[in-house]
This record gives sequence, C-alpha cells and structure tokens, in this order.
Amino acid sequence: MMTLAWRLARRELRGGLRGFRVFLACLALGVAVIAGVGSLSAAVNAGLVADARAMLGGDVELHLVHRAATPQQRAYLARSADVSEVVHLRAMARTPDGDERSLIELKAVDGTYPLYGKVELDPAQPLAAALAQRDGIWGAAVAPGLLTRLKLHVGDTIRVGDGSFVVRAVITHEPDAATSGFEFGPRVMVATPALAETGLLAPGALVGYGYRLRLMPGTNVSLWVAGVKSAFPDAGWRIREFGNAAPSLQRLIDRVTVFMTLVGLTALLVGGVGVGNAVRGYLGGKTETIATLKCLGASGRLIFAAYLTQILILALAGIGVGLFLGAITPFLATPLLSSFPVAVRLSLYPLPLLLAAVFGLLTTLTFALWPLAAAREVPAGSLFRDLVDPAPRRPRLAYILATVAAGLALAGLGVVTASDRLTAAWFIAGAAGALVAFHLVAAGIVHAARGAGRPRSPRLRLALANLYRPGAPTAGIVASLGLGLTVLVAIALVEGNIESTIDERLPEQAPSFFFIDIQPDQVDAFDKLVEGTPGVSQFARVASLRGRITKIGGVPVEQAVVAPEAQWTTQSERGLTYAATPPKGSRIVAGQWWPRDYRGPPLVSMDAEIARGMRLKLGDTITVNVLGREVTATIANLREIDWTTLGINFVLVFSPGMLEGAPQTHIATARTPPEAEAALERAVTDRFPTVSAIAVKDALAAVSQIVAAIATALRATAAITLAAGTLVLAGAVAAGHRRRVYEAVVLKVLGATRGDVTRAFLIEYGILGLTTAAIAACLGTLAAYLVLTRVMHQEWSFMPAAVVSTALIATALTLGIGYAGTWRALGAEAAPFLRNE
Amino acid sequence: MPLRSDDPMILLDDVRLTLTSAAGPVNVLRGVSLSVAAGEAVSLVGPSGSGKSTLMMVTGGLERPSAGRVAVAGVDLATLGEDGLARFRRDTIGIVFQAFHLVPTMTALENVAIPLELAGRRNAFDAARAGLAAVGLGERVLHYPGQLSGGEQQRVALARAFAAEPKLLLADEPTGNLDTATGRLVVDLLFDLSARHRTTLLLITHDRDLARRCNRIVHMADGRIVDDPEQTGTVAGAVAVRRALT
Repeated sequence: MMTLAWRLARRELRGGLRGFRVFLACLALGVAVIAGVGSLSAAVNAGLVADARAMLGGDVELHLVHRAATPQQRAYLARSADVSEVVHLRAMARTPDGDERSLIELKAVDGTYPLYGKVELDPAQPLAAALAQRDGIWGAAVAPGLLTRLKLHVGDTIRVGDGSFVVRAVITHEPDAATSGFEFGPRVMVATPALAETGLLAPGALVGYGYRLRLMPGTNVSLWVAGVKSAFPDAGWRIREFGNAAPSLQRLIDRVTVFMTLVGLTALLVGGVGVGNAVRGYLGGKTETIATLKCLGASGRLIFAAYLTQILILALAGIGVGLFLGAITPFLATPLLSSFPVAVRLSLYPLPLLLAAVFGLLTTLTFALWPLAAAREVPAGSLFRDLVDPAPRRPRLAYILATVAAGLALAGLGVVTASDRLTAAWFIAGAAGALVAFHLVAAGIVHAARGAGRPRSPRLRLALANLYRPGAPTAGIVASLGLGLTVLVAIALVEGNIESTIDERLPEQAPSFFFIDIQPDQVDAFDKLVEGTPGVSQFARVASLRGRITKIGGVPVEQAVVAPEAQWTTQSERGLTYAATPPKGSRIVAGQWWPRDYRGPPLVSMDAEIARGMRLKLGDTITVNVLGREVTATIANLREIDWTTLGINFVLVFSPGMLEGAPQTHIATARTPPEAEAALERAVTDRFPTVSAIAVKDALAAVSQIVAAIATALRATAAITLAAGTLVLAGAVAAGHRRRVYEAVVLKVLGATRGDVTRAFLIEYGILGLTTAAIAACLGTLAAYLVLTRVMHQEWSFMPAAVVSTALIATALTLGIGYAGTWRALGAEAAPFLRNE
Repeated sequence: MPLRSDDPMILLDDVRLTLTSAAGPVNVLRGVSLSVAAGEAVSLVGPSGSGKSTLMMVTGGLERPSAGRVAVAGVDLATLGEDGLARFRRDTIGIVFQAFHLVPTMTALENVAIPLELAGRRNAFDAARAGLAAVGLGERVLHYPGQLSGGEQQRVALARAFAAEPKLLLADEPTGNLDTATGRLVVDLLFDLSARHRTTLLLITHDRDLARRCNRIVHMADGRIVDDPEQTGTVAGAVAVRRALT
C-alpha cells in the first residue's frame, strides 16, 4: 500500500506548491528560529568550553577578598602548580592636572600572567614590557574607554590613588575578561609591585586576590580541589574550576537560550495553525478527487497514507529551508557579537538542527493529522449528491489519539530539552492554554455573530455572516494572530516594567554616588566634607566588611538546601555590616532589634526572604567567614528590604561588638542634584585619593545596556512570532480570496457600491482584530504579571500605553491585510465570474 | 436622463467588444445594434460562443464595450462610473444567471432582501418574504443556498431579481442547470412575474420552446446579430437605432 500511497503523493505533488506557500513559510520560519537560537547558543557554549582555561586564567582559581593568601597557603599552592596572582580592586583614575577622572577596574598582575591565552596590546608589545618600571615610573595598559573618558593618549600619565603610571598601551584582548563579573569602569592593568605605590591596599579595603593555577600535567582537578579544601578548611576562598569558569555568564546564556527557544516554539505553534489551515484548505479542494479515488476502489487508509506522505514531503522541504537559515544564523550574528566576552566558535552544530527538525515535524503532525484524518472519511457517494453542504466529518478515535500524542510529544520535547524545565513547562502550558483560549474566543465570536440576529444594516449583516458561515477562517485568524500578539504584549510589559524600574523609579530615590574604601581614620573628615558640600542630601555611611556564608543552621553551605532565589547570597563574598539601630529602608517583620548598648554573644538581623530560602527561623544560627575567621551568630530578627531603592542595605546586619575590631572600610551614599554631582565627586576624590566614587547613573546605564540587549533579542524573536501570525492571517485571507471576489461581484451585480462592500469587509476584520487584540491584551498582561512577580520577583505595574499600542498595531495589521484582500477583490472584473460560455 | 414613454428599454449601437487572450485578441462582439421596446420579451438564441452572454453583460453594465454605445431605460451607460452602474442596476435591472449566483453566506430571505436593503427600502424583509412566497418558497426563507436544491436556488434568484421591481430583467440560461420539470416551473414563474411587473425581458436560451414564448427571437452567431424580426440588428435597423439615440 505504501508504494501506491507514495505514487499517488508524487502525482499530487505535480500540482506544484499552490496553496502551500504559507505552509512552507510557517514551518521554515519556526524551524529557523529554533535552529538559529540553538546553533548560536551551541557556538557560544563551544567558545566557553574551548576558552575555559583562558577565561578563568588557569585550571583552578582560588579567590580571596580583603586579604592575600598566607605564606603557608602560597607554599602549598606552589608545590603542585604554577601560580599566578592577580589583584583586583576599584579605584579612581585622574589626569595629572585633576581635570578629568573616572572610576576604574584596577587589575595588578604578576610576571606569570596570563597562564593561559594571551593579552593583546596596541601598540603590540609584551605585557611585561608595557607594565615595567622605566625611569622610575611604572607602566599601565588600559581599556580604550579610559583614554576617551580622560581625553588622553598612549604615552600620557594617569594618577591612581597616590601613584602615577604612564599609559603604554591599549588592551585589545584580555583572555580572562568574561570572568571579571560586573564592571563599573574601564580596565587598567598594572604590575603587582606598582600597586604598593597607590596606597590603595589599606586594611579592610575591598580588594580581591585571585590565585590562578596551572596544575602539574595529569593532576585530577577535582581531587586537588578536595585536597586544598581539607588542608585549609577555614581559608574562606571561593574555588572555581575551569569547567565552570563563568557561571553567571553561563547562567545568562542558558536563560536567554531557554526563553528564545520557547518564543521560537510559539512562532512554530502559530505557524502550526497556518499548517493546519493550509492542509484543511488543500484537502477541502480535493473532495472530488478523493471521492473519485474511493469510487475507483481506494481505501480510506490509502487516501490517508497518500496525503500524509505528500504533506510530510512538503513539510521536510519547509523544515530544510528553516534548518539552512538556522545553521547560517551564527555566521550572520557574529559581527553583532563583537563586544561579547566569549569568542564564538563558528561551525555546523548538528544537535540543535536535529532538534529543530523534530520540532518542525511534530508541529506538522500535531496540526495536519486532524484534517488528514477527516479527509479519509470523504464518502465516495459525495460525487453524486446535490450541492447540499455535507455534514462536518469527524476523524476516527485512533487519529484523534494520534493528534493528541503528537501534541504531547511536541510539548514533552520542549520541556525535556530546556535547561530550565519548570519554566519551559509553564511556558508551554501557557501557550497551549492560550491556543485553546483563542479557539474558545473564536467559537464565541462565531456564536455571538450568529446570535446577533439581523442587524438593519446589510453591511453589518454581511460582515457577521462572514464570521460564522461554514468554513470561515475565524478560528485560524484569531488563534494565530492572538498567540503572537499575546507574546508581544507580554514581552512589551515585562520590558517596560524592567525599564521603568531602572530608568524612572530607581533614580527618583537612588543616591547619586556610592563611595567605597573609606578608611576608618578618614571617616570624620569624610563626613564633614560631604555634609558640608552644598546640595548634598540623603547622606549615609556604614562600616562594610566582606564575608562568605559558610554554615546555615550549623550545616556546611555545600550540604544545605537553599532555594534558587536565595542562592546568590551563598555563591560569593557578600557585604556585611554591624549596627546598633535598625537600618533605613527595611522593616522588621519578626523578632526584636537588639538594645543600643548590646554587648552579648553575636546576634544577626537577616533579610526575611533569604531566611525563608534557607529555611532559617528566629533563634537559628548562621556562620560567616570574615577575613579567615568564622563568626557564628544567632538570628535575632528578620527584615523586609526594599532593594530597589539602591540605598545601602545588607542581607546580614550583625550586632556591634564582634566585628567592630575587624579590619574594615566604610561605604557611603549621597544624593546631589545632577548639576552638583561633578563637584562632589571632585571634592571627595581630591581630598581622599584612595576613596572611589561610583556614579549610580553610570552603573545603571551599564545594567540598562545588558537589559536592552536581551530585550532586543527577545523582541526580535517575538516579532518573528507575530510575523508567523501575519503569515497565517495572510494565508487565511488568500484562501478566502476567491470566495470574496465572487461575493463582491454578486453584490455589485445587485447594486452594491464599492463603499458598501468595503465597509462590510472592514467591519468583519475590525471585529476579528479588535476582539483578538482585547483577549491577547488580557492574556499577555496575565503572562507578564506572572513572569514579573513569580519568576523575576519584580514589582508590577500595569502599563496601558504599551498594551494598547501593541493591540492597536495588531488590529491595524488585521484590517490592513484584510483590506488589501478586499481591495483586490473589488478590482476584479465581474464578467469572468458570471459568464457561462 | 429620464425614460420617455417612446424610448426603447434597450438600445445598442454598433457595440463591439474585443477581449485579449493568450492566443491574441478575440472579437467577441463585432458591431451589434439592437433595440428592445419597454414591455417587450426578447429571446436571444445562438450557438455557444456566439456572444449572447457578453451582449447581456454589456447591457447590464457588467462589461464595458470596446466601442459603440449602450443605453438602458434612456441612460447612456458610458456616462456612469462603477458605483453609478451599481446603483443603476440596483434601481433598474434584475439579472438571473444559469449558475444562480446567490450569496452563500446569506439565507434565502437575506439574498432576496439585499438589493432592497442596498436601496434603503424600509420594508425590505417584508417584501422579500412576499417575493419568496410568490415563487413558492414561503417555508424555506431561513435556508442557506447550500441547503436548497438547484430549482429552489433558481427560484430564490428569480425572487431576488424581481424584488426591486426592475424595469428590465436579464436572464442568462435560467433553466440551464435544471431538469426539464423544474425548468418549466421556473420559466412559468419568470414569465408570470415579468407580466405582473410589466418588466422588459431579455432572455438567453438554447431551448427553442422557451424562446418561442417571447415576443421576438433574435439570432446571434459569431459576435453578430444574424436574424432579427424587427431588423434592428440589420443596416436599416441600425439607422433606426441611431435616430432614436440622437
């Protein structure tokens, strides 16, 4: 039977691609997005793996804050590996005349840096030569951004803290840049011995010490790490292996990949509606052929097999086009990723392509099986019947089950292949739910149009009749356009909320500056200076220490169960402070604050949400390693903190006493009117060269940039979903074109003007577009609300402008495409449709 | 221009129509002149491809001639734009097709009412209901075309054509898609309604019996009128037509 089905399918394919253009475009588009996102992600990940050692700077990195490794620790490390020490801190760089200044990320390196990879400089020269001391002055290599900010050139001098450096080169490539974390200013690289001259290494200063190791060949990295942990259990260092060089970058890439794949899957689902429409439309025109074949002895199964074969051949063609586009995406996207910290490895990645192909195939089956199965039920006798509408044919149970199975396989594949399965499951459930919702809405529109009775206006009646007549594309248009629009509304709202948090709400309350590394002996002078500067408000200063959480309720942090939303507090050193009174910007929700003059065993006040994530309650203990010393404190109270104010706030606030004697610095915030910002920065950094001023505006701009880049990627993918919806819409309009022309001709014969016909069609598409837009606006808003409040833990505000504008665009699109079809219909000549000769 | 009592209902003067096709230009009408008086019933007969349907399209303003003049009820159709022609048809002409051409999304009642509604008649539905009752479909008003037999659909088309009480009815093979008995029923209705409304009738048919029921039979062949008892298609007739038009 299969050979016969194959032969029949081949003969049917001779008819060409007529009626299948939208089918092919929908599949190609959806598959291209999934294949493209997958390929690009694979190329980036391959880059991460290939450059892992260079990005980390070694096979292993041990990282300490505030203090360098002890001689014993250094000796231990040197026994088993080549060691490179890198010191990192934030500082201010100034021109010698003090006219220009900038916060910088200062990195001091030794002679063995980098152990892996190569630093590239312009003008080209060895790094050691660039950083060396010549004629009593040390050299520096800087990021190009610094020269722009300070209006300097290579060969000019900069001042950092109390030291002076000649800029000998611009850094064009820094192998370990991606692992540096969030950066507030341009990089300045100097030699480690030069650091002493800056006066920045005061006790308690926020300085990071990284020990990058090239282990002896054949060393098992994990075993070695276990060894160093047991040799120095209280060292408090963060240890990273090269396989996990840039965990936060990896997480970001994973998340963006998941979201973009899911949005791509939505595009494919929307396209699926188009696939279903195309197959239904095609087979609708084949009723006579199918009936004839049945009269000649073809079985229902043969009919099904033949047309399924034909559809699958066409689907493979569409998928092939999509795979080609997906495979070349990394090559096309590379120029856009030039500032990306990972070198993308361009290649053909078969796995994401295979996955995209399977997605495409399952989508085809999910949406095509039903109309195919209905076609096999066409009775042979329909050839001999009068022109009476046939009753709708329902597929047999086995085919309905096959459709459901294909749909479940599609959803299952989407969930199983995502790195964040819970999000993927919710997303897919949401998309499927929305699809069902839009089918119900379409049924509602049909029902309402039918039940609207006979409006007086013949135009309105014609429009309503077009919505509910048998075979009307109402369901297809509403579902395809609605789903695309829902995604677009949701993304517009999520993006708008994040943007407004950064751009509007934050700066209203946010301080203008963070000042870091204020030495205890500078505190009084600093307070006096800042408070005496005109225009300064909201001045606050607290002691700041860095520490790592090592035990939670007595359980080592590696073994403790920590909820995902609290994990950031355990992944690296956090800021800590101590206070006699509750800090501003937080509210005590459980327990009591300690008395002002409390001098008992250490108590701690903790962020309520983080405590929940760690399953801690009042009276439990938490242990923090501060400068190599373990401090265990009992939780006395829990606070709710509004982090979005950007004021100084800490997850852990200790009772005074224990930490007061530890080496520490102070941090401060101050707010000034924008025109007074430069004066304050200048006054503080002139008087205290070792204090760094972080302009909140600049930091927020850096955050905005990252958010904007991700948003652009998501918006582009969402636009593809809408493009798929538009394709389906155009397909539906095109499918109904002949009927529309015919109707226009008959109405014109009966005396309808072009205006009459146009108005009727505009009403029809207006009803479709507006209803769909309204429902999509509701569903999109709900989705955005859930994403923002449940996934991103952000505050939610409804933005009617974003929703309304998105919805209006969609309505205009529907009307535009519908009208374009109508316009063509109106221009058609009447005679050919009426002529019998 | 209002119709004077002595004006013919249809006046065609040397009407020519050339259509372009892939194989080159086709002369569908090669200089047709015809005059039909108000209240007259004329049948148009001839072999397939002789230009009968095209002549009817041109008369109904559904196709513009390449040359020549067409006047219906005293109005020169060349002076009307597309929408003007639509309104003119709405008020003056009823058309019945071989293939019925009902709007599939509308019930029988709505199909009959639509020309009246387009004309802004308040009692459109009452009139439509009466029209359907007159063709024997008073019980089928809410059925869609797809739910009616061919004969029933043609009766709906007849009711629709007569609904606005047109001065001129154009019928193109109205029984072509029907069996003999049903065809006879429809034809009886057609003549009955024409007589009742004093409608001028231009009927295309292959059926000689049907043609003979008209006052006059005009023969067409190869895009020309080859036989016309009134000789309006001949040279003498053409002169008479010109005189009437000028």
